[in-house]
Amino acid sequence: MPTLHDVDFILEYPYTRTTGPVIGPFLTGLRDGRILGQRCGARVLCPPMEFDPDAFATLAPDLVEVGPGGEVVNWTWVAEPSAKHPFDRPFGFAFIKLDGADTALVHAVDTGGDAAAMGVGMRVKAQFRDERHGSIADVYFVPEADAADQAIEPGEEPVTITEHLISLRIQEPLYPHRARFAQGLLDGKIIGQRSPVTGKVYVPGRGYDNMSRVLMDESDEVEVSDVGTVVAFTELNPVQYYGQTETEPYVRCSILFDGTDQPVIGIDIRDMTVDEMRVGMRMRCIWRDPEERSVAEIDNRYGNVPETVYARFESTGEPDVPAEQIKEHSW
Amino acid sequence: MKLAEDVAIVAFSQTPSYAQFNNSEPAMIMPCVNSVIEQAGIDRHDIDFTIAGSSDYLSGVPFTFVMNIDAVGAWPPVYESHVEMDGAWALFEGFVRLQSGDIDTVLVSGSGKCSPGSYREGFSLQTDPYVHAPIGLDPRTQAGLQAQALIAAGQATERDFAEVVARSHANAKNNPYAQLSGEPSVEELLAEPYVQQPLRRHDCPPTSDGAAAMIIARADKARELCDSPVWIRAIDHRIDSHHPTLRDLADSPSVRIAADRVGLHDGPVDIAELTVTYSPEEVVLRRALGLGAGTAVNPSGGPLTGSPFMAVGLTRVIELARAIRNGDGRRGVAHASSGPALQQNLLCVLEGDG
Repeated sequence: MPTLHDVDFILEYPYTRTTGPVIGPFLTGLRDGRILGQRCGARVLCPPMEFDPDAFATLAPDLVEVGPGGEVVNWTWVAEPSAKHPFDRPFGFAFIKLDGADTALVHAVDTGGDAAAMGVGMRVKAQFRDERHGSIADVYFVPEADAADQAIEPGEEPVTITEHLISLRIQEPLYPHRARFAQGLLDGKIIGQRSPVTGKVYVPGRGYDNMSRVLMDESDEVEVSDVGTVVAFTELNPVQYYGQTETEPYVRCSILFDGTDQPVIGIDIRDMTVDEMRVGMRMRCIWRDPEERSVAEIDNRYGNVPETVYARFESTGEPDVPAEQIKEHSW
Repeated sequence: MKLAEDVAIVAFSQTPSYAQFNNSEPAMIMPCVNSVIEQAGIDRHDIDFTIAGSSDYLSGVPFTFVMNIDAVGAWPPVYESHVEMDGAWALFEGFVRLQSGDIDTVLVSGSGKCSPGSYREGFSLQTDPYVHAPIGLDPRTQAGLQAQALIAAGQATERDFAEVVARSHANAKNNPYAQLSGEPSVEELLAEPYVQQPLRRHDCPPTSDGAAAMIIARADKARELCDSPVWIRAIDHRIDSHHPTLRDLADSPSVRIAADRVGLHDGPVDIAELTVTYSPEEVVLRRALGLGAGTAVNPSGGPLTGSPFMAVGLTRVIELARAIRNGDGRRGVAHASSGPALQQNLLCVLEGDG
């Protein structure tokens, strides 16, 4: 039989950013195996900036090559790298003053796992990765004595855009009320929560009544009917945004189950066209066979009554409910 | 600081610092909101302005901050704002809003759930998107660099950091909201392995979930709602460069400016509740604030003993207000920070009534 699961998903946002007149050449340089600084009066800034960090005045782009050698001026040792770090084994993060620069760059130093090799005054040298995309991650540093000679083939077009995929893993248990709701679906039941203040029944419950500001728990839960009334519907024409899995138009509706005060939204209908849908239609949930039900897509925020628990919704044959009677629930 | 309107804290509430709160963020905030409304003896419709601080990246769900409004009962619609920052900055906005003189009461909250994700990964996204974030430059790394800068400058030793931790844990024994407490010896602490040399696990905050809420009011309203208002005499926040290599990490110019702006030493500083997320930060803050032996620092135990990000700074203000109300001191400073290695700092001077 299907069982419940913990919430475990990746939250992702793909960011693209223009690079501008200073960072653009800097990232282009990294792709091409060179590190560039920005002149600021008599000083050279690396990482380069579009402005004088002391006078806050705009700097005209004026880039000059620095490094590839440099000196560590501050450091820390990362015993437990995060998934976003440049190395998956222990390494140092350091402030590195590159030869020819007057400010320091923060970057990773790979000593082969030897924390004792790190220190203020340590000489390091840039190493470039085989795959370079015009990113600060194209480069890293090693103790100068360990540096290999590299022949870097420059790229063609200047780097004018950076892509950064923000990707965060989120893991937590299903909250207790969500777990009971999901288990109900596996059992072929729709569980709601009845407000102890107003008596209104919410499906699915949120663990509280937001109108009365009271928490609700298992003692407030009730099984509701799997027969209800369509209170809203639309046709979705899937826009191909990042992460979209749908390709064909389909109907999505909201159903107010009998005995409840809040429609369940996001019920998808695959076997009817939008022209066949009516507000006020009486519909019954035809559940999937128990062993075919899944609540894998239910997490703590999203997922109401998903298609993975029902085979379809079909008309009960009853007359439509007049729209006037359900206008409070039209969502 | 010359104020158009005197403002006082009339009610406050916080959750314990939970290692994991196994329910939604609104469910975590709601008891705090209900508590402050009850303390103030008002109806929620009497609140003129509502503002919250939280982070969607922490909980991993877009528009978490909208769902959080469930906790304040936002029907009929309320006049509401949000900062993607610690609740202490929500307090700042609420305080400024009251200065306009046309409203009386503000409900401020802060909440965060660190347990579902990785704060090291999430908070590395606060850094420069071109030269820092792509290499995952995380807050713990920047704290390690700050610690090393203090050691290199001869301003602290690893023993000093351990002493901050030992005192924080011992202070937290009297704090029912603390997540960690105890009486570790400095030697025991120094025997632990590094996680971010020169930092050890206990020099870093625990993973925490939690919320806090407060009602602030203009002077006349405050006296009407509360027998013992705690006055916000001044509040200010300042920021240093987001490039850590351009900062002297052993010092905090932004704290010094803010301390000057709030007139910190215009009166005695009996208590300081500081957002010491990493133990070396206390060394930096004590010096930059000019605190002497007469100031009790983090009598609550501070963030090293419970650190629900986005609530932890507002909680410092609450801990200070509670201490003043309890008579532990008459005047003190609460500090909140944002960004890595104390990049941005907020100071709030509180004073008891009478």
